[in-house]
Amino acid sequence: MEARIGVFICNCGGGMKNIDFDAAGAKVAKIRGVTCVNLISDLCLEEGTEKMAARIRAENLDKVVVAGCSPQFKEHVFRNVLENAGLDGHLLCMANIREQCSWAHDGDVTEKAVDLVKMAVYKARLLRPVEKQDIAVDRKVLVVGGGFSAVASALRLSRVGLRPTVLEKEAVLGTSSEELQRFYGFDVSSMIGAAEGDANIEVLTSARMTAAKGAAGDFLVTIMREGEEISRKYGAIVFATGYRTELALDSGLGLPAENEAVSGPKIVSQEQLFDMLNDPFTDTKPRTIGFVFGFSDENSRFPTLATLNNALAAKKEWDSEIYVFCRDVEVDSEGVEKLYREARECGVVFLKCEALPRIAVDNGRIAIEAEDVFLGEDTVVACDLLVAEELLFPTEGTAALSSLLNIRLDSRGFYQDENVHLYPVASERKGVFFVGGCRGDLDMGRVLTDISSAVMSIDKLLSSGTITAEIERVKADPQKCVACLTCIRVCPHGAVQLGRVDGGKEIAVIADLACDACGICAAVCPAKAIDFQGYRDDQLLAQIEAIGES
Amino acid sequence: MNGRIIAFCCEHSAYPAADLAGKLGLHYPETLRIIRVPCAGRVDVIHMLRALEKGASAVLVLGCEDGACHHITGNIRARERVKHCDMLLREIGIDGRPVVMFNLSPNAPHKFVKAANEITKIIKESREAR
Ligand SMILES: Cc1cc2nc3c(=O)[nH]c(=O)nc-3n(C[C@H](O)[C@H](O)[C@H](O)COP(=O)(O)OP(=O)(O)OC[C@H]3O[C@@H](n4cnc5c(N)ncnc54)[C@H](O)[C@@H]3O)c2cc1C
Ligand code: SF4
Ligand code: SF4
Repeated sequence: MEARIGVFICNCGGGMKNIDFDAAGAKVAKIRGVTCVNLISDLCLEEGTEKMAARIRAENLDKVVVAGCSPQFKEHVFRNVLENAGLDGHLLCMANIREQCSWAHDGDVTEKAVDLVKMAVYKARLLRPVEKQDIAVDRKVLVVGGGFSAVASALRLSRVGLRPTVLEKEAVLGTSSEELQRFYGFDVSSMIGAAEGDANIEVLTSARMTAAKGAAGDFLVTIMREGEEISRKYGAIVFATGYRTELALDSGLGLPAENEAVSGPKIVSQEQLFDMLNDPFTDTKPRTIGFVFGFSDENSRFPTLATLNNALAAKKEWDSEIYVFCRDVEVDSEGVEKLYREARECGVVFLKCEALPRIAVDNGRIAIEAEDVFLGEDTVVACDLLVAEELLFPTEGTAALSSLLNIRLDSRGFYQDENVHLYPVASERKGVFFVGGCRGDLDMGRVLTDISSAVMSIDKLLSSGTITAEIERVKADPQKCVACLTCIRVCPHGAVQLGRVDGGKEIAVIADLACDACGICAAVCPAKAIDFQGYRDDQLLAQIEAIGES
Repeated sequence: MNGRIIAFCCEHSAYPAADLAGKLGLHYPETLRIIRVPCAGRVDVIHMLRALEKGASAVLVLGCEDGACHHITGNIRARERVKHCDMLLREIGIDGRPVVMFNLSPNAPHKFVKAANEITKIIKESREAR
């Protein structure tokens, strides 16, 4: 049966002056398969959509083409119109005659507009509906890690009515959060107390995740705890595994490799300095302290924060003279601009250097030599204490953990923080999120933002207990699939697995909830077994056909 | 299809970049025909070859910038496929119509226009050379 395609052409309230709509309409009416052409201005406004729905019903249309603005802009509106008129939203195809035709060219573009509509009509003929279904999901969430981010996430998840499990590899929660507590005033221990006392939150310590499979809403996770293997189902997984730091001793910073080799003067990390400052029994009072940071990494948010806090404390406790050698003071975290100003006001000297400072031990003191770009001359400072550059690394085991779920790490080994298209806390796999230090250089303000974003996404995903999924929009044909595994290897979202449908042979089975509809599998499948409604081969080729005829 | 250029544009970068070019009134040759795809990685050799078979004067595949593909590896796969297709065409010695991949971000309309202009220039030059 020939399709009944209705074309709706919108002039965008007169916003496309270089198209002759009457002439275009007349030409479009002659395209094969077009049942009716409707010129309606302001199609996306209420009056327009009502007229459109009425025409769909009156003409008994089974496919719809809308010619007007970009589908990026209003496709969802017109899909709704179809749904309201009793048609599946996937039976719509749009011709972008505004952004990519009228507005992109000078002079009359009626002919091009007709071409674009023709492409859409040719594709529309081949469209098929996509079934929707509510799929039940698990409301439990696994939070891997037991630091500040993990505990705060669990508390928030519990508050929105979900059921988190906190999985920490150490015997107690919060082992790496002590400095946060003592120095930055975050009350981590009462947070941990609250989490441990929360009936919705399960805490598993000395435990590790050893295997995981499944997809958003339905992950099956294996946990090893004190030699015992536990299997659990989770709707979502949050990684909050933190970071670790290392003193950049012999990494080309010109520092003496062995700390002990320097007798008298000392080279310490931010954390060691912090401990010295908080040691009530010490009588060391370094007269001059030098800080060096920001030469090994583009980001210097952490070191900026640590330096400012420590420098202020050292001024207060010891009244030391303080020199900071750095490339950039990064003050874009909350409150840091103020800290920086305070530090300057109480006499901390900042030297901006492009090149790495040269460091030598001289007469029992440490000499730091560098060219300040503003002064334009070499400055030498002799210190009693050097707070050296620290490097930031992902927690050990991050790579192994990510490979369990086939998740990529960024160029520094952290969970992806570089891909601008992925929502910062979301991974390429639906239902898997990252928060906190495991994403790299994060201050507490950003960690809190992360937690909110992740909890919000998880709430949206799981709170109703079901997710509406498009069923088999992308599907491998059991007759054609030869189980070559190519699609399983290439799917960037881990959505394909080998399985049996109705007890038949093993074939590629695509998890509807995990699939992000990219079509990469459809392109690589050597058997051309994968159909992707909306972007099937024949639907793409039909558009080329239309261009060929014009 | 006299001189049409077929551009496969991914909906995360290239397609919105083309939209933005229109919004900003940055003009490019009218011969360009855009086919929207969810990811550059969806475009297969068959699509590029069919476009040439039907008379396109060039085929463009436009995807996200390196390291910023919404589908992680889609743009890399697309580039390899475009290379492969180009190699096939050279091997069999067809008339040298270009098949080219460009990377851009959704907020780079000027890059979109540059790609369209560049390919138009290449077509013109290769036509003159013949
Ligand atoms: C020197 C320095 C100074 C800083 N100064 C400031 C500052 O002034 N202001 C500020 O806002 N922020 C500051 N920060 C940043 C702040 O400390 C971090 O943003 C915050 O601690 C991140 O918390 P987290 O929970 O993500 O990671 P962490 O606190 O590191 O917690 C991670 C937890 O996960 C556990 N874990 C790891 N791997 C696994 C696994 N495979 N299975 C189970 N559990 C696992 C670990 O044992 C640990 O308990 C500073 C950081 C440093 C290094
Ligand atoms: S690539 Fe094609 S043939 Fe191979 S497993 Fe996937 S669907 Fe089957
Ligand atoms: S369309 Fe993309 S996300 Fe979906 S199964 Fe295929 S490769 Fe995976």
